[in-house]
Amino acid sequence: MSVQPYEGRKAKSGTPKEPPCAGPDDLNGFDPVLALGDPGSFPFTRGIHRTMYGGRLWTMRQFAGFGSADDTNQRFKYLLSHGQTGLSTAFDLPTLMGRDSDDPLSLGEVGRCGVAISSLADMRRLFVGINLAEVSTSMTINAPAAILLAFYICVAEEQGVSPDKLRGTLQNDILKEFHAQNEYVFPPRPSVNLVIDTIEYCTHHMPQWNTVSISGYHIREAGATAAQELAFTLADGVCYTKKSIERGLDVDAFAQRLSFFFDVHNDFFEEIAKLRASRRIWSKLMRDRFHAQQERSWMLRMHCQTAGVTLTEQQPMNNLIRVAYQALAAVLGGTQSLHTNSMDETLALPSELAAKLALRTQQILAHETHVTQAVDPLGGSYFVEKMTNEIEEEAWAILDEIDAMGGVLAAVDRGYFRRCITESAQAEQRRIDQGEQKVVGVTDFVEKGPVDIPILQITQETEDVQVAGLKELKRTRDAGRHAAALDRLREDARKGVNVMPALIDAAKADATVGEMMDTMKGVFGAYDGGPEW
Amino acid sequence: MSKTKYPPRVLLAKIGLDGHDRGVKVLARSFRDAGIEVIYTGLWQTCEATMHAALQEDVDVVGVSLLSAAHMTVMPEMLRYRKEMGIEHIPVVLGGIVPEADHPKLLEMGLAAVFNPGSSVDSIIVKLRELAAGHASARIGDVRTGYEQGDMRALAKIITAIQRGDALDGWDPPTGNARVIGITGAPGVGKSSFIGRLAKRLRLRDRRVAVLAIDPSSPITGGALLGDRLRMMSGEPDYGLFIRSLSSGGGAGGLSPAAPAVLKVLDGFGFDFILVETVGAGQGDVSVRELVDHTLLLLMPDSGDSVQFSKAGIVEIANAFVINKCDLPGADSTHAQLLSSVGEDRPIWKASTIRDEGIDAVADWVAALQ
Repeated sequence: MSVQPYEGRKAKSGTPKEPPCAGPDDLNGFDPVLALGDPGSFPFTRGIHRTMYGGRLWTMRQFAGFGSADDTNQRFKYLLSHGQTGLSTAFDLPTLMGRDSDDPLSLGEVGRCGVAISSLADMRRLFVGINLAEVSTSMTINAPAAILLAFYICVAEEQGVSPDKLRGTLQNDILKEFHAQNEYVFPPRPSVNLVIDTIEYCTHHMPQWNTVSISGYHIREAGATAAQELAFTLADGVCYTKKSIERGLDVDAFAQRLSFFFDVHNDFFEEIAKLRASRRIWSKLMRDRFHAQQERSWMLRMHCQTAGVTLTEQQPMNNLIRVAYQALAAVLGGTQSLHTNSMDETLALPSELAAKLALRTQQILAHETHVTQAVDPLGGSYFVEKMTNEIEEEAWAILDEIDAMGGVLAAVDRGYFRRCITESAQAEQRRIDQGEQKVVGVTDFVEKGPVDIPILQITQETEDVQVAGLKELKRTRDAGRHAAALDRLREDARKGVNVMPALIDAAKADATVGEMMDTMKGVFGAYDGGPEW
Repeated sequence: MSKTKYPPRVLLAKIGLDGHDRGVKVLARSFRDAGIEVIYTGLWQTCEATMHAALQEDVDVVGVSLLSAAHMTVMPEMLRYRKEMGIEHIPVVLGGIVPEADHPKLLEMGLAAVFNPGSSVDSIIVKLRELAAGHASARIGDVRTGYEQGDMRALAKIITAIQRGDALDGWDPPTGNARVIGITGAPGVGKSSFIGRLAKRLRLRDRRVAVLAIDPSSPITGGALLGDRLRMMSGEPDYGLFIRSLSSGGGAGGLSPAAPAVLKVLDGFGFDFILVETVGAGQGDVSVRELVDHTLLLLMPDSGDSVQFSKAGIVEIANAFVINKCDLPGADSTHAQLLSSVGEDRPIWKASTIRDEGIDAVADWVAALQ
């Protein structure tokens, strides 16, 4: 059965001939008490805190990671010394795909797009001199997320920090990999089951840890519309919630540690409307569908990142301006933390200068524009409220469509998400090609000439050193302990018990990411991608 | 835009671990809509397997999409394999994030074109058509000798010629003794992955296997998106396995009008088994029967097909059934429903390509077919 994706606002309206001027008629039947409420109370349209940034600024959390664990450790310390308030770790492609640095498929990729972590020894070097009781750490990792979490727990233990003190976030959202980013390893069901293992473990042992960062970002970057990004992400959230409840967890025990991660794209008001609508929908889902009792369980907490896909290789300095506008939209939309992209993202990993300017962008926004001095300043705007209503309505329609298919996993089996996203991406490309959507410096206002900004170079040396270290580790570790730990992991995976304890055990036995993934692959199988079109 | 009398064939590939496929998928669909036959080989491919696919598919252009900054490593490797396999007449183009400074080096190396994120889809299509027009497909007479000597390049070219309406020039390929097995089922039941595994099993028994994957093409533009191959390929090309994607060219019952002649030349080439994957058009898709010796019907759990079990059509003509994806919930009840509607005379297997289970039993059955 082929499901036609919901056309949506954009496709229906196209580019309006004259700008709409929203007015009272557009908000017929709009009840501000029901639709907005107060900031910090249901349905949280206006934000999850009563005083928003008056009480506390958002967390400026810049994603960093490249080269070896030592290189990234240096960058972490640099960012902390410049006033950053939380760490965020980018891993290299082999690590993201659950492969070791010495895997044949890793050739040329080690440390290139993030930091290479293959073992507990690497993780130890990544956080040397950083007290894990004092920082909060976000890790952008998915298929092998449970393994990296195990490493983090072990490093903290070595520092004398118990798991209940640890603060941070694991991205850990495998569903969006099936929809958009393609960094999956196991089939959808065992993959989700592994996510639930981490939720269950953290619910019992790491109450301050955000277990899943349910991500729309990658879905949007792959081409989804704002409403699709919103609906697909919340549908994934529904799936994790349902599965956790099926596992026997109380919704109020884990829901407060689910967080969300949205893209902030160019369409300024649409993005703000999307973020406002996200809170309204989620609060209704949690309260009315899952019967969460505690207010905190109804709140959608979010991290936002500016849209990498909007940045251009041509005239890269223009990216600074794009990012600044997108960051403003994120803040007006009420985000809890923010990553601003570096201007050189389309050319290479951020240079130190580009990374600093990206952070300064947020600091200027926070301390000079005074936008923090009003809570939800756009609340009550005819235009913004109309748009918030429309996006919410469209998202509910998509959520219903997914429910009608039998839920997210059934829709993955049919290739529904991939098809919708590709169709939207194609439609957008068509708008750009036909001149309907301008891209400054690419379709219009073009300049010829070389790009002249400093670029970070990663040397091949990183890979050689990393591979040599890994070979040494494999040679010197206790082979008996290592084999026993992997046997236990295989057994636990086969029995269907929570694998977290076995992963912690294997981490301490110096088993590598690739070895643990392969052990689980032997039990769970490997996924071939499902229907593509 | 000048139109040739047949759709150009373009292979689109991603190489390495980079999973960013937004660009390549948009291009694949846009090319199809512009009347091009696109063979998309999916993620995580190697250079060798990609060029090997280009040889078998006898494409007019190979397009590589790279966002991993590995182009200066990957592209020379691609060209090396192209030379090694003796298909230097096929132009190779590159798209993705490629710094301007590298363009001249890449063109000098032998690439036909390099496209950037700023290139419009239309401008890419114009270039592809131009390259395809320059890549003349051989006439059958020209490659018959190669075919007779067992050269796969010649086989690939003959199939192209047949599809493009080149008569066999009075040539009658030798008769082999290939068994032809049609594999059909509704979209999404996992036919391609299953065939990929089945072919591998038959290869392990040292049989020569050809796969013919037939996908629908647009009756209006003639374009097609041939994505079956991506489920069948592995990074290591198998030189005893021939896979060819064929667009239906608007043929009835989801079959290509060229299919009978193509099967004839595959048979004459000396394959032991030819697996024909057809668009599971469902109940009406019975024309496959006229082409093949045996038909295998693939189903999946809870696919709603159970309603159709009792209806005439494909279930009647199938010689055997596979309930694929039996790792999904509902496999047992689907099995029971099928059993009650078709009885016990015909084999029913349960298989899961994800877990690599249940394929051997089917391979045993195929291997024993006469």
